[in-house]
Amino acid sequence: MTKKSPLYYIFAYLFLGVFALFNIIPIFYMIVGSFKTEQEYAASPFALPEVLQFSNYSKAWEVANMDVYFFNSLLITFISLIVTVMLGALAAFFLSRFEFKLRGALYGLFLLGMLIPIHATLIPIFMIMKNLSLLDTYLSLILPYTAFHLSLTIFILEGFMRSFPRDLEESGVMDGAGIYRIFWSIILPITRPAIATVVILNFIYNWNEYLFALVLISSESLKTLPLGIANFVGIETASLTLQMAALTIALVPIIIFYLLLQKQLVNGMVAGAVKG
Amino acid sequence: MHTLKKTRLAIFVGLLPSLIIYVGVAILPIILSLYYSLFNWDGISAKVFIGLDNFGDIFQDDIFWLSVKNNVIIMLTGLIGQLPLGLLLALLLNRSLKGNGFFRTVGFIPVVISSVMVSLIWGMIYNTEYGFLNSVLGVIGLEGWQRNWLGDPDWSMLSISLAYIWQNCGLYMIIFLAALQNISSEVNEAAELDGATGLRKVFLITIPMIRATILVTVIYSISNSFRVFDLIQILTGGGPAHQTEVMTIYMYNNAFLSRQFGYGSAVSILILLFSLIVVVIANRVGREKD
Repeated sequence: MTKKSPLYYIFAYLFLGVFALFNIIPIFYMIVGSFKTEQEYAASPFALPEVLQFSNYSKAWEVANMDVYFFNSLLITFISLIVTVMLGALAAFFLSRFEFKLRGALYGLFLLGMLIPIHATLIPIFMIMKNLSLLDTYLSLILPYTAFHLSLTIFILEGFMRSFPRDLEESGVMDGAGIYRIFWSIILPITRPAIATVVILNFIYNWNEYLFALVLISSESLKTLPLGIANFVGIETASLTLQMAALTIALVPIIIFYLLLQKQLVNGMVAGAVKG
Repeated sequence: MHTLKKTRLAIFVGLLPSLIIYVGVAILPIILSLYYSLFNWDGISAKVFIGLDNFGDIFQDDIFWLSVKNNVIIMLTGLIGQLPLGLLLALLLNRSLKGNGFFRTVGFIPVVISSVMVSLIWGMIYNTEYGFLNSVLGVIGLEGWQRNWLGDPDWSMLSISLAYIWQNCGLYMIIFLAALQNISSEVNEAAELDGATGLRKVFLITIPMIRATILVTVIYSISNSFRVFDLIQILTGGGPAHQTEVMTIYMYNNAFLSRQFGYGSAVSILILLFSLIVVVIANRVGREKD
């Protein structure tokens, strides 16, 4: 490769540096602010806090019902995730390893979901949940989270399972194992890398989801983290430092999760975007 | 060996649960939307059939066209803001620079955190009294530039666009970077032997080589722009005076705040149609160049 001029490197670092600052400063500013008293913040928003005000955190945790939101988000995220991945893997297994009449049509139907903007389904889903008396329950979120992520889950898993050699199941068939036995003990274990991708994708999508929660959940005790925190900030307009503490509490777990699983998460989300 | 009947039953049982949930919650609502859109209906009392009147009313509503315009702004923000910026960053990171990993890690953070968090963080930046932006302007002596970034109709859409760029630019950076790293070093060497260097190389060799990826990101970016909701709902709710409404917000406000379920359903059908049409056109245009 030809050597680049020093000017190029100056430009490159300058540009990347500005970009990095642009990404970090809003978050850093928020975290610093969350440790200040309200007076300190109002007087000099850029100074570092005199004393770290951890009381903002205990207060935000309590006032904002953070424990309730965290619990609801964890519960809904994981139940939806497990249901989606289990059902999706099973569907992908049959769609990829068997030939039957409606296979192509069914596969196409499942892929169609990736084209549907969820907004186009919002009103009917609201009415369906209302008619089933499911409005304002955990299930009212678990069902759409599962339904809308089945498409991508099936797409990724089907593609992966299709690449296995045909004679893979034969040893199982020889041993007299049933179809579900073959799925569970032969196919599923070797699908693990793709399962990891869809688990991460489903986790992040469910954890971050806002619109369905906004429309389908109204009880304070059932709100998920995004909905709860958005409401809290909307109501608690008086204290910016308290808002910042609440936002930081919500942000830290996902940042840690990201830093720990960076490679898988980035690859998964890129795959999700490019294919979806 | 399995009998054929047994296999069929197993396939049926295996696919049924997915199919029920998926069709019931994702496909059926599209059909219901189409059906609801023909009625005047508040979601509670009896539906009144009015044919295509909802669509007629929508097309005559200036606020709807304002929301379409704002959707176009968001779409263009994606196409001429996020994509070129992402590509430029990817080109810079494609060489072995020190701190490469750091920039990638940092660049992707906004993509991972929820759009709710992105909106709330930017809400603090734009806060009129104590916001980051106005405070910075105050410190550097540009008090005259301070303003209500989200409440001023001249600036609100621009403010939202900036937050939108922040949110997604890192995703495109990573996608382009992956594509660039797939270009074989032979291509690069051959190009340089032919005397193509610097910008010439980028435009004549590199960009054509990743054309397929660019097409994918263009389509993704367009369909993504029709789905923007959280950011605007939280930052402005569509205000001031509808100035930042996009179609999804227009739909939400009409359906869930004004309780016009038939009208809202008609809007949601239009969202679906618009996004499909634009994606199909983008696909066509992209293919033709092949």
